[in-house]
Amino acid sequence: MQLFLDGIFLGSIYALFAIGFTLVFGILDRLNLAHAAVFTAGALVGIEIVTRFGVPIWLLIPIVLVVGAVIGILIERIAFRPLAGRHDAHFAGLISSIAFGAIILSLLQALYGADTRRFPADAFPSTRVEIFGATVSLLQVIILIISVSLMVVLTWLVAKSKLGRGMRTIAENPHAAAVLGLNVGRISSITFALSSALGAVAGVLFTLNVNAASLGIGHAVELKALAVIIVGGMGSLPGALVGGLILGLAEVLAVNYIGSSWRDMVAFGLLFLILILRPQGLFGARKTREV
Amino acid sequence: MLAEYSSLITLVALTAILAYSFYAVLIAGQLSLAQVGLASLAAFTSALVVPSEPLFGFIPPLVIGIVFGMFVGAIAAFILGLPVIRLRGVFLAIATLAFGEMVRIFLINQSWTNGAQGLSFAKLVGPGVAWIALVVVAYWFWRLSGSRLGRAFAAIREDELAATTMGIDVPRYRMASFVIAGAVAGLYGVLLAHFSRFADPNEFSFTAAVDGLVTAVVGGVTLFVGPILGSAFLSVLPEVQRVIGIDAGWIRPTISGVLLLVVILFLPGGLSGLIPRRKSAKTLLDNPSLQPTLSPLPAAGSELVNLSSLGKSYGGVHAVQSVDLTVNAGEVLGLIGPNGAGKTTLVNMVTGLTPPTTGTGKVLGVPLSPSTKAHRLAQAGVARTFQQIKLFNRLSALENVLVGGYRITQDTLLRRLLFLPSARRLEREAVAMASAQLIRVGLGDKAANAAGDLSYGDQRRLEIARALASHPSLLVLDEPAAGMNHVEAASLSDLIRSLAADGIAVLVIEHNVRMMLATCDRIMVLNFGEVIAAGKPSDIARDPRVLEAYLGSAGSDDDVEAATVLASENLAHVLDDPTSEQQEHPTGTGTATDTTPDGTTTPEENR
Repeated sequence: MQLFLDGIFLGSIYALFAIGFTLVFGILDRLNLAHAAVFTAGALVGIEIVTRFGVPIWLLIPIVLVVGAVIGILIERIAFRPLAGRHDAHFAGLISSIAFGAIILSLLQALYGADTRRFPADAFPSTRVEIFGATVSLLQVIILIISVSLMVVLTWLVAKSKLGRGMRTIAENPHAAAVLGLNVGRISSITFALSSALGAVAGVLFTLNVNAASLGIGHAVELKALAVIIVGGMGSLPGALVGGLILGLAEVLAVNYIGSSWRDMVAFGLLFLILILRPQGLFGARKTREV
Repeated sequence: MLAEYSSLITLVALTAILAYSFYAVLIAGQLSLAQVGLASLAAFTSALVVPSEPLFGFIPPLVIGIVFGMFVGAIAAFILGLPVIRLRGVFLAIATLAFGEMVRIFLINQSWTNGAQGLSFAKLVGPGVAWIALVVVAYWFWRLSGSRLGRAFAAIREDELAATTMGIDVPRYRMASFVIAGAVAGLYGVLLAHFSRFADPNEFSFTAAVDGLVTAVVGGVTLFVGPILGSAFLSVLPEVQRVIGIDAGWIRPTISGVLLLVVILFLPGGLSGLIPRRKSAKTLLDNPSLQPTLSPLPAAGSELVNLSSLGKSYGGVHAVQSVDLTVNAGEVLGLIGPNGAGKTTLVNMVTGLTPPTTGTGKVLGVPLSPSTKAHRLAQAGVARTFQQIKLFNRLSALENVLVGGYRITQDTLLRRLLFLPSARRLEREAVAMASAQLIRVGLGDKAANAAGDLSYGDQRRLEIARALASHPSLLVLDEPAAGMNHVEAASLSDLIRSLAADGIAVLVIEHNVRMMLATCDRIMVLNFGEVIAAGKPSDIARDPRVLEAYLGSAGSDDDVEAATVLASENLAHVLDDPTSEQQEHPTGTGTATDTTPDGTTTPEENR
């Protein structure tokens, strides 16, 4: 039971990160590799804010959401929008987002240094509770609630709201969407803003969970998020949620039964298998080839 | 001075070799991130075989390591390719990335690699060896770029489907690029390990793969020197910063990131895009005596296509129902019918792009079945154009036509590597053949233009030239006159007649009925996936079912009858004297008879 809960906690953070990743891919057909840097930025900025101002967690999350959204808009404006209409926009977008991510990381290094940073010892309540014979901290429960509710809100937004309808229209055909009078640029910006806001919050929650953040934490999570969105299906929001939980559980179980040195093999083995057997993922729709 | 920079000089060469490994897949339009994983496999397994003393007294240990490492890289790439080669784009990138990470984790957990502690290697590589290896690799890719294999890679990168219909076995060539990239990655791994004298599996990480990819993309893939430029730029940049005294830990990565961003945003072709491209594949070679000797076309009148109750359904929708059809050498067979009648589906089946669900068919001796590959039919002598133009947009017009000549040319890579005179002769033959086709369709003066920059009508003509370059027995044209004015359509009609006179069987779909009646020997009319009429143009023009299919049966009977009589008179008149009709009425070809009337429904689109 303890393993199961640990897996859910870890998985919900993976899912929150991956859902932002897959949102951009599903709607704009771009893989934003700066997402990992946003995750790191969320973590480090979060620590800075708590250390300096001692804000409580319920105030920290909205602040980090805004910080993430601003970074997201910058990513869209600087690294992706200039590429619109280029035949190699796919490759070029990968590289330009890598470059932008590197810039974000080096600026973070300038601000906070390269060392591992932690939240102040008594910043958050350390109450522990027992559920079904397993010990969980109140913090973990909060993490779970925040990530699940953010994901639910996002899924609702995309499925039901007018903005979401615009996003899905662009996903179908950006050119036709522009002809129909949708402001493609604005919706792209909002998509990136939402995506990065979630990525930044995922960074804070991840750091709350392990209470350590360094410049490199984004990379490990980025690789796992790739696994999550492939397993769940590229562009599928529920897929990212389920994929994240599956990966979290699989990792915790692997560490327990196989050994920690093989932990990462689970993510990539799973990813590889899914790509071979069911490239569209568990929840993705198969795209047919046009002749 | 030189000694101070010897390690930088070596690293520039090694990074360039890694970038060539990415370049090898990028030129075929693929993105693989497995390269550093393959490199680490090669590096660590080479530690098992590299002897400390020369083998047989004269083979240096490093040579053994290199050969072995390249072999390991190629084999591993092949095994990885078997399951992943059918993936595309981002999916291929992620699958190969996963493979690379799995290799890393596997190697860390092995005792023979010494795990995360790493393994020591003999110092066998210095600047000299590294640069010799780089020159060999660069030479290979230089000679590849103008060869038939290089052109096939470019064609696959630009448009896989069009490449298939040129006779290019796309999965095989994609695998070839994968294996080449694997061998180069193996070379890099062995050289790097024997240069740095120490390697642990964690060095070959995702970050290293991304660095290699960035180097290749910054250098650009349009020219073979791209990887060297990329490597020099990215390796020297931090060094320059160090020399001019920028020391703070964060400034260097910031500047590198900004420069990378600038290059990618403002130099679409990478650094090598700044170098003007060589001219050779841009100028015509208008000399018929240089053309290759071609095998004769099938004798006029011999049966090339035989379809027997061929059909295709998608779920419950019958796109094409039991069509019987023969096409003979030297004849022009027209296929007309309203939009959605199943014409394109039928020619897709004939060219092997769509497998039939019912019936049998034989095209140039190749039976049509679900396992028939389009490139096999193309190699047998089928060439086609597409309703939605599928050119290799970034290649020049002449290069497009050269790719079209794939079927009748030989691979020139080996000859080019050895600079054999026959390589030059074969290339001149191919260019002469392609030039002749360009001139034949009237694009002789636009040989150097990028295909994507041509006008719509010119693109249609270029597609025909590309199809003709394969010296086809059967030419399939899907709406060749779309977007052409009546003068262009008339000259297209003349071209089609002259091709038939040469002995080529032409199967043509076209909505310009006036032109079709004047051009075709026989016409078949499809509606709702079924043949509603077939025969000579003069009979078709008077067939009441055809007229009804085109004009619709809505409205009052009188109107329909009047329109029918008028239309059939019009068409009969066209048949009597097609040329004078077109000249007398300049706007004639664009009016009543050549498009589907709005009144008729388009069955498939509505379902």
